[in-house]
This record gives sequence, C-alpha cells and structure tokens, in this order.
Amino acid sequence: MSENSYRRFLDPAVVSKLATMELRARLVVEGFVTGLHRSPYKGFSVEFAEHRQYMPGDPLKHIDWKVFGKTDRFYIKEYEEETNLRGYILLDASASMGYGEDRITKLEYGSYLAAALTYLMLKQQDSAGLLVFDKSIREFVPPRSNPRQLHLLLSELDRTEASSTTGIGEVLHELAKRMKRRGLVILISDLLDDPDKVIPGLKHFRHMKHEVIVFHVLDPREAEFTFETDATFRDMETGETMTTEPLAIRRDYLEAVGEWTARLRRECAESRIDYVQVLTSTPYDRALFSYLEKRKRLG
Amino acid sequence: MGFMFLNTAFLFTAFAALLPLIIHMISRRRVDSIDFSSIRFLKQLERKKIRRVRIRQILLLIIRSLILLFVALAIARPTLQGVFEGGVSSHARTSVAIVIDDSASMSRRSDGGILYAEAVARVSAITRLLSSGDEAFLLTASSPTEVVIGDGTFSPDVLHAELSALEPTDAGTDYPRAVSAALAYLAESRNLNRELYVVGDMQRTGWESEIGASVEASAETGLPVEAVGEGVRGYVIPVVGPTGNCAVTAVRVERRYGGTPGMYAVVAEARNFGARPCDIPVRLFVDGIQVGQTGVAIDAGATASAAFSTAVDVSEWHSGWVEIATDVLDADNRRYFVIRPEERIEVLVVRGDGVPDGGGHVGASEGGGHDGAPDDWYYIARALDPTRGGERFHPVVLMVGALAHQEEGRFPVVVLADIDRLDDAGERWIERHLSDGGGVLAVLGDGTDIRYWNAELLPLLAGGSIVAPVERRGGVRLAPVSAGHPLLAGFVFGDRLIDDVAVRKAFRVVIGGADEIMELPGVGPAMVATTPPVGGAAALLYTGIDPAWSDISRSGLLVPLLHRITGRLAEPSVRQLDSEVGGDLTVPYDPSHSGTPIVFLPDGGEESAVRISGPRGGAAIRRVRQTGIYEFTENGELRALGAVNLPEQESNLGAVDEAGLAELLDPLEIRVIESGAGLEEEILVARHGRELWRAFVYVALMLLAAEMYVARPRFAPER
Repeated sequence: MSENSYRRFLDPAVVSKLATMELRARLVVEGFVTGLHRSPYKGFSVEFAEHRQYMPGDPLKHIDWKVFGKTDRFYIKEYEEETNLRGYILLDASASMGYGEDRITKLEYGSYLAAALTYLMLKQQDSAGLLVFDKSIREFVPPRSNPRQLHLLLSELDRTEASSTTGIGEVLHELAKRMKRRGLVILISDLLDDPDKVIPGLKHFRHMKHEVIVFHVLDPREAEFTFETDATFRDMETGETMTTEPLAIRRDYLEAVGEWTARLRRECAESRIDYVQVLTSTPYDRALFSYLEKRKRLG
Repeated sequence: MGFMFLNTAFLFTAFAALLPLIIHMISRRRVDSIDFSSIRFLKQLERKKIRRVRIRQILLLIIRSLILLFVALAIARPTLQGVFEGGVSSHARTSVAIVIDDSASMSRRSDGGILYAEAVARVSAITRLLSSGDEAFLLTASSPTEVVIGDGTFSPDVLHAELSALEPTDAGTDYPRAVSAALAYLAESRNLNRELYVVGDMQRTGWESEIGASVEASAETGLPVEAVGEGVRGYVIPVVGPTGNCAVTAVRVERRYGGTPGMYAVVAEARNFGARPCDIPVRLFVDGIQVGQTGVAIDAGATASAAFSTAVDVSEWHSGWVEIATDVLDADNRRYFVIRPEERIEVLVVRGDGVPDGGGHVGASEGGGHDGAPDDWYYIARALDPTRGGERFHPVVLMVGALAHQEEGRFPVVVLADIDRLDDAGERWIERHLSDGGGVLAVLGDGTDIRYWNAELLPLLAGGSIVAPVERRGGVRLAPVSAGHPLLAGFVFGDRLIDDVAVRKAFRVVIGGADEIMELPGVGPAMVATTPPVGGAAALLYTGIDPAWSDISRSGLLVPLLHRITGRLAEPSVRQLDSEVGGDLTVPYDPSHSGTPIVFLPDGGEESAVRISGPRGGAAIRRVRQTGIYEFTENGELRALGAVNLPEQESNLGAVDEAGLAELLDPLEIRVIESGAGLEEEILVARHGRELWRAFVYVALMLLAAEMYVARPRFAPER
C-alpha cells in the first residue's frame, strides 16, 4: 500500500467506513506513521537497537564516538524505548457525544481516536488503559502492555454507545483518586458540562503529577452553528427544547462558544494541560501529533 | 370629509392580511426539530437575544400583514369623500347639464389658441366621464340661451357632433339665464347624481343679472331657484384668456346742416378695457369703401372719440362701419351703422293762441303775439322750414283746441309752443302719441299755466315741477352742460356755445333723472331731454324763444338746434335702425305694402320671419344673432337697412373670481376647477372624493422596505 493510500485513513469520514475497530486503529496509525520522517518505534531510551549513519540535524550527543574511532564515520546510536508510560484514555460517552449531523458522531470520532492512540501506545510498548464514562464511570480497563490489551480495548470501544447525561467533573475526580502511579491521561470529550466542574477535575490530575491531554471534540455545526432555518432544538441529554431563529442568534451563539472554549484553553494552559480542540472533520494526525509531542516531552 | 371605498367588491382582499399569520401558524407547526448536543448556550441567549428575535418575528408578522392589508385596500380604491355633502357612489347614474359659453368674448385669442376651443376641450373631458345610461343636457351661455341638447339622451356621438358644430357667436353673455335653464333640466331628472357644469371665461358682465330674477327655469318648473338647485353639485370651469381689449363701443352719425349737402358727421367712441394704454388707428368705411382714417391714444379704462365727416346721397340707404386694429377680441373691433334716406318729417306745432294758418303752412305775415312780436310757434315753424319748401321738416301749426282732432300717427313730433294748457282730449292724444313712440318738444313761455303744467302735463312728459319764473334783466348766457351731448355735437366751442345766446326770463324747473343739455349758470337747467313714463321721447326748453324771453330767435343756433332736436325726437317713431346681438332689429316699413319683406343677413343668408308691427309700421326680426348689416327687401327692392353690433358689455373681458362666483351662484354649492388642473381627476375627486390608492401603495412600499430591513439576514452563513 502506498503512502498516499495510508494517508487517506487519517480522514474520519474514511475511517468510519472501515469494518472493525482494530482495522481502523491500525490503518490510522499506519497512515500517520508513513507520513513521519522518523520511525516512532525507535527512540532514545535504554536498550540499544542499532546504529545508523549520521544525518545533518541529528544531535551530536548521540554520535557513537567509538564507531567513529574504528570506522572514521559518524554513526548515531538508536535504542529500543522503554515501556514505562501508563496511558489512560478517558472517553466521554454521554448522550451529547452522540451528536453528529452529516458525517460521524463525536463519539465515533472519539472512539476511533482512542483506538488509534491505544494502538500507537501499545506499539510503543506503553501501557494503555480505557475509561468510558458519562455521568459516572461506565467501563474501566486498567492499563496493560500485553498483546491482549489491544484487542480488549478495541472491543470495548466498539461496544461503546452514547447515552445518559454528562458528569465529567465527578468522573475525573474519582479517577484521579484511583490512579496511584503517574501516567498520561488522555481525555476525549465534548466537555459539555459545567466548566467550573470540569477544570478542577483536570487540575486534580495535575495535582497528582499526571500529564494530561484534552482532546476537545466538537461537531462543526456546534462550533459554527450553521443552521439557517428556524428550528426547534432538543437537548440530547436533558430532552429540553427551544425554538429559535439560528441566523438571528448565530453571532451571539458563536461568542458564547468562543468564550467557553477560550476559558477552557486558558485554564488548561495555566495548569500545563495540553488542550487540543478537534472537530469531527479534523484528520486524526493532528491529535496523534499532539500525543507524540507530549510523549516526546515525557521522554 | 368621510372615507369610502369605490371598489367595495375588492374589500374582501383585505383578508389577505391574515395570510402572514396563517403562514406563521402553519410554519410554526412545521418547524424543523433538531436533536442537538446541548442547548446550554441557547439557554444562555434566551433572555436577551431570543426574546428580541421573538419580538422581531412579531414585528415582521405585523409589517407583512400591513403590507398585504394596504395593497388590498389600495385595490379597493380608498377615497376621501369629496367636497360635496352626500356624494353618491360612482355606480349611480348621473345627469349633467353643461353650460358652455359661446359668446363673442370666447372668440378671443389666448396662448393656447381660441378660448372657445379650450372650452370645447373641457366639455369633451367632462363628457368622457359619462357612460351609457347617464343624462346630458347642453346649453349655451350666450344671450339668448340656446338649448343645444334638451332631451337628456346621452350619446357620445351626438354630443360630440353638437359640440363640434358650435362656434363662438357674436352674442353677449347671460350666465344666470343659462344656469337657470340648466337647473330646470336637472330638476326634472330622476337620477340621484345631478351635476351642473359652467364652462366659460366667467366674464363679469355676463353675470350682471341675478340667478332666479330672470329665471325662466324656475318659472317653468314652478319651483323657487333654491329648490331647483337643491341636490345639484355645481362645477365652474373658467377658461382664462387675456383681458386687455380695445373696442369700438359706439358710432354716432349726425346730419350736418348747411355747407355741403348730405354731409354727415360720424363720431366713433373707442374704449380701452385693458390695463395698458393703447394707440390705435381708427378707420371709417361707408358702403364698403374706406373714406377716413385717424388715430386715437386711449389710456387704460378710458374712452376716446374719433370724428369723421362724410358726404352721401341723402336719397338712398347707406351703411358703413368704424373699425380699429386687430387685438385679442376681433368681434368688437368693428361697429356698424346705417344712414337712412332723409324723409320729410311732419311736425305738429301746437300754439296757445293767435291766428293759425288754417292747418297749413305758416304765412309770412302771421305769428304776431300780443305785443306785436311773433310768438314762439312762429319762430319754431320758420326755423323748421326756413325755405318753406318742406324739404326736411313740414311744420303744421294749429290751435291747442284742435289737437284732439288730428290724425294719430301722422306727426312723429309735436311741439307744444308756449301753450297754457290742454283739454282732456288733448292730454289723451298726447299720451297716446307718446306711448306710440312719438316725440314732444315743450317750449315754456308767457302762456305757461304753472299749476296746470305741474298737475297734468309735466307728469305726462317727465314728472317734476315748475318752481317759479326767473328774470334777469341783463340776461344770462346760455351754456352747454355737456359738450359731448349728441344734441349739441358741433354746436359747442370749448365750454361755450358757438353763438352767444342771452336769456332774460326762464322758469326754474325741477325734474329728477332728466338729461340736462343746456343751463343758465347761476339759475339752473335751461333745457332737458326726458323719457316719458308712457314711452316716446320729450325735450323741454325752460325759456321762451321770442325776444322778450331770450335771444334764441336771433342767434344762428336756432335752426340747427331745432333741426337736431326735432330729428332726434322723431327717431323713436321711425324705430331704431340699429340693435345689439340678442335684441330685436326693427326698421321702418310701411305695412300697406303688399310684398313680403325678406331680410338678407350679414353672412349672405336669408331670414323670412320678419315681424310687421307698430301703427306707423315697422319690420323687425327678433333676437338677431350676428353682427353686421341686415338688408330688408321687398320684391327685390331694398326697403331698409339695419345695423347689428356686439353688446358693449361683451368687450369688457374682466372675469369674476372664485369668491365672486360662489356668491353669484349662492345658494348653489359649487366647486371651481381652475384651468390647468387635471379636469377629469378634479371632477372625480369632487364627485367621489380624493382617491388614496397611491398613498396606500406608497405606504405598502415603505412597509416593504421596513420589512426588508427588519428581516435582513443578520449573519450571512459562512460557507
């Protein structure tokens, strides 16, 4: 399969048409990896893997001077990475995550993203766990790095359906209390809950010395409110309705959403939480890059 | 003013205003329902924004409803009711009586052409508002009124044919009579909608009589004019033209005695009716040939005279005219006159006492009075026929007692030469003589019985009374009262008579309304002309002719003055030879003639309806309608000529203003529609009111603009 063939699996619309979650996860990651210059599988951890020829731009500290002494050529030492990261993927499966007008729902997008991250993490020998929640923790798979973990997690993701209301704050607090070892917490949610509850929950992880990435998943229509005709809007979580004229209120709506996301972004930045807003139309590589950047910083 | 709709059948379209509400209700049911992740943000906006949106929706609903409402109402032709109370629906049948002024003044030129053409155009516009089933009457405002269409049948073809056949006449104007006649037709109409239209120049002189005073209409209907006009809406449509006009208003033809035989003085009066001075040439034509020309400068509102002399063969009829230069109104720039052949006039001179000549001519040795000097009758008879040839006047002298036995109608003029009194039979004879149009010259003197005259004769001749005799030993010089008086024309030089005449004795007489001709300064009138109550004409000389009273008999004034006076007094008996359009034209005619008189009209036409009347004969045609010279012939032989001219008042082109018209036509309710206004629209507005559909459409358009503004998309969708 060519590079371009793999790259198309970064499009959520394409991914949603694939048959199984495992296939989705694998193709997303493969598509992502083929676009990188360097293999994510080989890092600079403890166990030596191989030498490769020095390329301009490589740090000088990684040059193997012994080999240089023997061969009079510059080689760089590469090592197999250690599996020392515990990754927790928190997937919001509340009813609001079931919204998706034209393409895929936010939950589908989040599930595929979670699957890809799981695949990527396990391939890097990291431990990956999954927590599906709505107003409470619905499913929890502790992080493992054994080969069965991938299948387990992907199956769980495949079964996940949107339902019930949201209680992000409470779930985050509860999980923060449970997690004893430091790890990487990846929250995939639309965050449609009271920010005054969500942000303290996230900060709780930081307080417990966890690293946190927040993938804020929104449908393009939520972000842009491109409804044109008068409509009655029914809240998917509470069932409340409201009839209005979208064109007339769009500006104010966008202002309100902008203030909300700006606050989330600002509060996350203040707590050194990576905040990544993704629309369900956003290719997956953006999210995976964010993860890799974070992973890289974690060493 | 009330409010009404002319197309009430379309009022149901106003229900269209409910459409937006219905659509709103339906669309509200059909509004899309969208499952949305969370309405938390919408709820945040609910208080301030969504409520505003709802208000906007309601506002739009109202605006859209109003747009449809106004459009629907515009279709139904909303109308403010007209100026007339009780205006009826446009569906009601209408009776219109149209009075069009076709008088001479309507032939004047204006910027838009002939004024009458403009009037016809306006009448045509009025008739365009009529439809089948309506009634139309058409009358003219010229004098006398002509009923062009009187049966009321409205047919556009007939009406337009009659209109196009009408032309401005030479007649004067009589709006009141025409209006009254029109009202009478409308009074008989059964239609609810009755309208009177008066179209013309609204000449002030044409409104001189009062509506109802000469109203044949009210006489015909038996109703007072107020009742005739009840429920009738009047529209006065003035057609405006220039008012500056000069006219020949009178022509006086006087025989000059002495000098060239057959010499006549023709004096024309020209008047400036305008506001600017005019300087115009005046030409005299006799028998179709120009025989004289002069010029006159006339100030605004003033009159000037132009005098000519011309000699004619006195044995024949002559006609002529005086004309001035063309101006806005041609009809009054020419004035016709007739010179009749000179005939011998028999004058009956009645004396008080002395020796008559047996009913014949005055002998050379007769005429002595008590003092041996001739009496007044002698001087009078001699002056009337100085050559004793009886060429112009044939005086017959008789005693006062023989008066009652004289043939009636033989003498056009009777001179009462210093008589004391008449017997009853004589009084009755004089009364019949006057009532038959005869003339009487009364000369007072020694024999005048003041009490009798005051009681009997003066009331017959003029009224008034003789106060007392006045005597001035040194004499008082006789003076003219008015140098321009026709009887004195040619006899006055400056403010004096051409020959000094001293008067030593005279009577002081008081007669109201008499035309004073001469006076004795410091004493009173010396000679007056009167119109007796029973008819005819009279002149009174308050002093005697004999030398004991005055020097008249010795002056060169006696013969021409007596000829002038006698000739004038004889005129009524031979009837007038000139007339004005609208009046009767009468010429002398001997009823004993066997032939049938025919009148040839000025335009070459023929008039056979000639009325023969009067004890001394006379042929007349009634109500002449055109100016010019009329020829009366009998068996192909010319018997008489008559001149017909424009009434003087027709030359005064000043118009009555709107307030004046309202006053003149009171109590008729009228609306004056000025020239230049949209006539048909104005009539419709007055009849049905002012239509407001345009205003309604404008309001609808403004509402539409408001709707577009309010409904404009606040946020263009970002694609």
